[in-house]
Amino acid sequence: MRDIWIVAENPAWAATLVSAAKSLDADCAITAFVKGDEAAAKDAVTYGAASAFALPLPAAGLWEDYAPTLAEKAKTDKPAFILVSASRRGRDLAARTAALLEAPCFSDAAQLALSGNAFSCGTSVFGGTAVRTSSTSAPVVIVTLGAKSYEPAAADASRSGAVATLPYSAGAAKVTERKPRVKQSVNLPEAAKVVGVGRGFSEEKDIAAARELAAAIGAEVGCSRPIAEFFKWMPEECYIGISGQILKPQLYVAVGISGQAQHTFGVRDAKVIVSINKDEECLMHQNADYYIVGTWQDAIPAIVKAAKG
Amino acid sequence: MKKIAVCYKWVLSDTDIRVDEKTRSLNMEKCKYQVNEYDRNGLECGVQIKKASGRELVGITLGKDTASSAKDALSRGLDSVFYLDDAALADIDKIGAAKALAGMIKKVGDVDVVICSEASSDDFAQQTGPRIAALLGWPSVSYATKVEVNGDSFTLERKLDDGIECVSVAAPLVITISPEVGEAPIPGVKDILGAKKKPANALAIGDTGLSADALKPASAIVSVLAPETSRKRQRMNPDGVSLDQAAAALVKELSQAGIL
Repeated sequence: MRDIWIVAENPAWAATLVSAAKSLDADCAITAFVKGDEAAAKDAVTYGAASAFALPLPAAGLWEDYAPTLAEKAKTDKPAFILVSASRRGRDLAARTAALLEAPCFSDAAQLALSGNAFSCGTSVFGGTAVRTSSTSAPVVIVTLGAKSYEPAAADASRSGAVATLPYSAGAAKVTERKPRVKQSVNLPEAAKVVGVGRGFSEEKDIAAARELAAAIGAEVGCSRPIAEFFKWMPEECYIGISGQILKPQLYVAVGISGQAQHTFGVRDAKVIVSINKDEECLMHQNADYYIVGTWQDAIPAIVKAAKG
Repeated sequence: MKKIAVCYKWVLSDTDIRVDEKTRSLNMEKCKYQVNEYDRNGLECGVQIKKASGRELVGITLGKDTASSAKDALSRGLDSVFYLDDAALADIDKIGAAKALAGMIKKVGDVDVVICSEASSDDFAQQTGPRIAALLGWPSVSYATKVEVNGDSFTLERKLDDGIECVSVAAPLVITISPEVGEAPIPGVKDILGAKKKPANALAIGDTGLSADALKPASAIVSVLAPETSRKRQRMNPDGVSLDQAAAALVKELSQAGIL
């Protein structure tokens, strides 16, 4: 029976990670580490963890500074796997813990498999152009997993297990303020169709053309990272990618998007991808089902006309 | 003088990758090496910290063909480059790369600020900065979008899933920047010519305090293949097909698939 640790940014992610752990070894004993209070940790027990630790967000310290404590505990407890939520804090903590344990860490992995003691998984490389399958028999393996990577385990309130709070040793970095993210009224993850706006749009007012296309096909509008982060033409909640929204729409239409790794990752599970870009060689075309080589100025009116029949 | 070390990766550009339709393998023959795009923001962040704090700015890189990276990196504002170009590093993994980079940083000496960028365009693993921090035993501030320095004091903002975290910390530290920390200027002719006069220093594996054995990967690459559920990649407007015809055909395909 293997010991598997899960480290989750929130209880919902813990449910996903419990499923991932059980898929590796149905009989594993899971120890959960959940950001938050002991009530959050207790949730992980209802999802199937044998025991759970609360990792409260320190008022004036970095949450990731739990890494040395976790690494020391792992040296004693020797879990075979540490599965970590691929949130930003999770990724940082996973990498630091991996370094302290000299352990391999696979980021945003999929197709986790175990054959004897040989673990293998796939990671997306070159902007989703390929999947690299790696294998290792390292004594402890760290993997970060997305929020939708596995069907979340169901809660069963009758399950019980020990719950405690993990001690925190403050690092040198001090948190002086936290500004919560302002939620916008955009719900991209629920949209069946999404139009994505990229740097092919050189002015903010041009996004109106993408909105026209979206209206014609009944889609929501999202964007690539620079549009939201650099130009601030759209709210942050609109940017699609590995560190933004990760979507599973029926249709994704990328307009003027080159198709860099971090963007493509956010739409790799779309049922159908359409790309419009004047650059025939762009990566987005290679990751699309249908593509049109042309400027958005020419292509959007043609599609709007065709869609309106 | 204290030094800022910016780690950068010399990566194959992904724009010229060709996928073999039958075997799903990648043909990288036409791909050229370049400074990882995210690291260009890291180099620019280093330039800004140098300006504000008077530190010396060095670039650090390792891996195959990195000797040829020096000129490009030096045109981006560095004072000098230290590279570790050894065929033994061809299949180095994240454990080894972070150990070797940490060793190189110690060898360079007097470094009290390390800058990495969020990820590389090839792997996008987002591990190197935090790993180096853990190995050096220095504070790690990742996903930094704002960096201000006053002598040894750093004030940073980091963007996390649930909002912004403002952090105050003294050097030494490892900063892992997000691209929005600032766009990297494209080097001008003067920068490119000036790069030729700046020192590019070769280091050997022995300089990192590690053996080639200690840098052997802990995992093996089984395959690198385009996904099986690969996209149709159907061009709707090949030569002779107008955009109107292409758009009509696209709408028809999507309607038949029940999507429109």
